[in-house]
Amino acid sequence: MAPTRTVKSKLSSKDKRNPKGSGKPGAALGANTKSKVSKKPKAPPPKQQKTKSAAPAKKKKRVYTEKELGIPKLNMITPVGVESPKGKKKGKVFVDDQESMMTILAIVTADKEGQIESKMMKSRQMEDIREARRKEAEARQEQRKSKLEETKNSMRKKRKSKSNIDVDKDYLESSSKYMKDAKANRKRVSFA
Amino acid sequence: MRPLTETETQTLFSKLANYMGPSIKNLIAPPDANPSTDQTRMSFRLGNQNRVYYCSEYLANLSTCVARENLLSVGTCLGKFTKTGKFRLHVTSLNVIAPHARYKLWVKQNGVMPFLYGGNIVKAHVGRWSEDCPEHQGVVVLGMDDMPLGFGVTAKSTAQARRVEPTGIVCFRQADVGEYLREEDTLFTTT
Repeated sequence: MAPTRTVKSKLSSKDKRNPKGSGKPGAALGANTKSKVSKKPKAPPPKQQKTKSAAPAKKKKRVYTEKELGIPKLNMITPVGVESPKGKKKGKVFVDDQESMMTILAIVTADKEGQIESKMMKSRQMEDIREARRKEAEARQEQRKSKLEETKNSMRKKRKSKSNIDVDKDYLESSSKYMKDAKANRKRVSFA
Repeated sequence: MRPLTETETQTLFSKLANYMGPSIKNLIAPPDANPSTDQTRMSFRLGNQNRVYYCSEYLANLSTCVARENLLSVGTCLGKFTKTGKFRLHVTSLNVIAPHARYKLWVKQNGVMPFLYGGNIVKAHVGRWSEDCPEHQGVVVLGMDDMPLGFGVTAKSTAQARRVEPTGIVCFRQADVGEYLREEDTLFTTT
């Protein structure tokens, strides 16, 4: 009883779907298989073709980020010291072994020696210049002194040569005149 | 505590070279040192407040056992890095510098107290000085009994200083042992 029922029900449902189909169960089944066969080859191929043809055309272009390209950001100012160079290790590099300390020391001492040497050279040159100037000034002073002495001597000689005879005569005359004048100008007092 | 970086080492050495010249190598590798042992291999360490300490590697390694805030000092404090990256020598470095000093200046008895009170050295107080010392060169100041008293920078070269009047300054003070009393509060503090 139960299987016949089920068949009936199946048919009835198929009949509803297919209004043109006959009421016989065999015919109905045959029609169904035909339609399935005919539909199958028609529907899938276009789909497959579409997918095959679309795949190479729609290939996604790779989008690069700014970081990957390494392009500097626009309108951004990054100070030179702030941005660390690419591919460099982060953090401090410590100097703890003697060899590297010695190399740094060699650089520093060479630098300092150069500085001291240049300072010494400069001071020596300055000293030489000062010495030369001092000598020049002394020589000039000596010259000036000798010139003064010469003029003094010449003046003295001139005076002596003029004076010897003339000065004596003048002196006598002037003294006699003075004596006469003194006698004439003397005031007298008389008592009556 | 950490070792110094390259730039820090360079600034430290250039400062020390002012006073010691090329004999800094005696600090890095002491002549009596045995390189195979830690105890004689010396190193420079940067501690709290940017202070630089000079100590044996053995001691530096031991110091890692002490918490940073509990560690006051390791070895000899040489000085500190300023905020601008320069290095300033402290008077505590005198013990390290004095034995290897390149230029020296001996102060007469009457000039010792003025120097220890923080004054510059005038020509009248100078007993002796190293020959051929250029201007603005680091010198170690000693008493006439060869006791190191501090260090300073020459104001004039030795040739020029000869012609200076007795009251003229020949050396500017940088540090003196009087600081142990004057700077007692700040010399070893960590905060």
